[in-house]
Amino acid sequence: MALRAALRVAGMSGKNAPLALLVTDRGTRRLHALDAAARALGLYPGQKAADAAALVPELVTADADPDGDAGALVALGDWCVRFSPAVAIDAPDGLFLDITGVSHLWDGEAVMLDDLLARLAANDIPARGAVADTAGAAWALARYGSASPFPLEGGRAGDGGGGCSGTKALAVREQSPTTAQADPSPPPSLTLPPSRGKGTIVGQTCANGIVALPGRQAELLAPLPIAALRLDEAATAQLPRLGLTRIERLLGLPRAQLTLRFGALLVRRLDQALGQAEEALIYRRPPSPWFDRLAFAEPISQLDDLVRVAGDIAARLCARLQAEGRGGRRFELTFHRLDGRAFPVRVGLSAPGRDARPLTRLFAPKLEAIDPGFGIDAVTLTAEGVEPISAAQGRLDNSRAAMAEEGLAALIDRLSNRLGEDQVWRAEAFESHVPERAVRAATAMAPPAAAGWNPDRPRPVRLFAHPEAITAVAELPDAPPATFTWRGRRHRVRLAEGPERIAEEWWRKPIDDVRTGFVRDYYRVEDEAGGRYWIFRAGLYGDPEVAVRWWLHGVFA
Amino acid sequence: MPGSREARLAAVRGRIAALEAGTRTPSAVLPFGDARVDDCLPGRGLSLGRWHELTGTGMEVETGAATAGFAALLALPLAASGAVVWILRRDDLYAPGLETLGFPARRLIQVRVRDETAALMALEDALGSAGVAAVMAEVEDIDLTAGRRLQLACEKHGATGFVIGRRPFGGTARKAATGSAAATRWRVSACASDPPAGEPGLGPPRWTAALERCRGGRPGEWTFEQRQEADHGSHPLAVAAGLGGDGVAAERLRLRA
Repeated sequence: MALRAALRVAGMSGKNAPLALLVTDRGTRRLHALDAAARALGLYPGQKAADAAALVPELVTADADPDGDAGALVALGDWCVRFSPAVAIDAPDGLFLDITGVSHLWDGEAVMLDDLLARLAANDIPARGAVADTAGAAWALARYGSASPFPLEGGRAGDGGGGCSGTKALAVREQSPTTAQADPSPPPSLTLPPSRGKGTIVGQTCANGIVALPGRQAELLAPLPIAALRLDEAATAQLPRLGLTRIERLLGLPRAQLTLRFGALLVRRLDQALGQAEEALIYRRPPSPWFDRLAFAEPISQLDDLVRVAGDIAARLCARLQAEGRGGRRFELTFHRLDGRAFPVRVGLSAPGRDARPLTRLFAPKLEAIDPGFGIDAVTLTAEGVEPISAAQGRLDNSRAAMAEEGLAALIDRLSNRLGEDQVWRAEAFESHVPERAVRAATAMAPPAAAGWNPDRPRPVRLFAHPEAITAVAELPDAPPATFTWRGRRHRVRLAEGPERIAEEWWRKPIDDVRTGFVRDYYRVEDEAGGRYWIFRAGLYGDPEVAVRWWLHGVFA
Repeated sequence: MPGSREARLAAVRGRIAALEAGTRTPSAVLPFGDARVDDCLPGRGLSLGRWHELTGTGMEVETGAATAGFAALLALPLAASGAVVWILRRDDLYAPGLETLGFPARRLIQVRVRDETAALMALEDALGSAGVAAVMAEVEDIDLTAGRRLQLACEKHGATGFVIGRRPFGGTARKAATGSAAATRWRVSACASDPPAGEPGLGPPRWTAALERCRGGRPGEWTFEQRQEADHGSHPLAVAAGLGGDGVAAERLRLRA
């Protein structure tokens, strides 16, 4: 990642030397991001590298790595899953977290935000966050909220500290090297909608974040600069020239004229920030209410402990599934390590399930692969493919059929989780007369399809994936061979049946590649020892385009 | 008192017998319906809830076609009472071919494994699962320990195992296992078919099956033919007309055994 590389450069070059990342913009090297020291010396992003070097000769520079930054942001987004399953990436430097219904796990939004920011800080990622009802408001507050110690260029910081309001989404923003602060790391912003607040205070601030109380974000947004609305560059430049420097000035203006003059985006952004319009965030994974989380006071690392917590968290989620009469098909258990890495473990079930014990048994063998490092301090479990299932009925007759079905489903789950999902299957007929395409793998628990294979066409028990070349001698062009040699052994044909002509599926090829000569004439032959083979002749005698060759495709029982 | 001593002894004997039997229920059998075969098998039929070993001869050890077909027909009567699982190391079992033999391949669960260990693990797991009537596994070799584990797994729910000895293509022959916990051991090879007079083509498939080892039974050798008339309840394998009898061949085997 660029940041880490840059830090390493800085570290090598001495203590607190100012650091800047450079990009090449139309042939000119310009500053892309600065750290606090460089900013304090008066440098600013966008400045020519040569000018900066002249002003500050001791400036340490490194190349910016936008791809690396994007990758780091995605990794950070995955890490944030420990706070909420719904994380949206807001490139280049922000993250949105939907924290609806999650904040109670932390005893409140403010505590949650504090925890998140503290953890980011512990990982040397400077960040700011805000919790608000809407993603737009949280975005604005995280970047331009009054708690920000870093006024940003292009807009003035909002006024007054204490009065932040509105609580539904929390946005946390890492400080971007491009815009604000002095950091070589790219700041993300996160948006988490928390539970409804109440009370008379419109909001509260914490170290680097703002928590807006529900329904009060308009008051908080009013003093913020126009740039807080996520507008395009033209509008951001144009509006202040008209005296519309703050959001509050927009609120009183007729919307029709605003739309006419600045496009629909301005009004839409305004509505989104105030909660009057919906905003669709693209989450890294779809938000799921079937999510649970366990955090530990002390990090764990023993395999036994991992298995136990897997059982504990599975029991919690399964109890909820049970209460709602639902079952999940796929479960993902993620272990969050102290250093921020996450290790997901997945299991799939052939039928929706909500039984914690078998689920734990499926997880257990996979936990050995987890490297706990210095310890694991949180674990999350998500259920996917959740669908209603009928309550397990205590059968009066304890019918054997039901037991058999359950036993079979459990076996298929065990095997497919151990060996791989595509390694356990049921053969299903497919509408094709080409032998190798006539079978399709279906899921093992699927009810068998009604259509079968044509019983009048004898087929071998073993079919080779690739037919094996044989040399055969036929007495007449269209007769079965009298002898053939397969794998160096000569077989004298005693009985033969055929031919069964199978042509290629010409409709699957470009018309120019289709030849009438591409046919196979299959013979069922029996040699003197009793071995029964399925051999075919590819091509037609007398066709100059395709050479005639003999192949062995399968062996009959 | 002598009386109480005898009573105690009888009680201890009873307990020991119960321990030795384990969870084993009186073994159910699947009769072939032909006295020539059934007489050689303990309980007059193929024991269920045990596992059976089938090996091929010559090239069959690699292709495993005749053994697979024979095993499918042995297991066919069981397919009605539960699932059949087929564990493969090579994915060359062709479901339409099994359907040609009359085996309900669409209901068959196929499992592909990477190596011998995984195959044995899957086999043991499947044998011990409720709802599984029979398990076929294509493995190279089973030693005594693994065989006993399989037997214990079979006894859980009464599933029957069919282990098809099969070598990977081009593999070298391994030394045969010294002992085996299998209930029976068959050597199966394809046999020239006998088409009905006046009809062209091949007759119904035939196999020469030698019962080489059989716990509590006698060895024998027969030529089986797939029964053509679909009469309900009869075993799908019939001793081929005119060729039956465990006469000379069985006599020879018995001397050797």
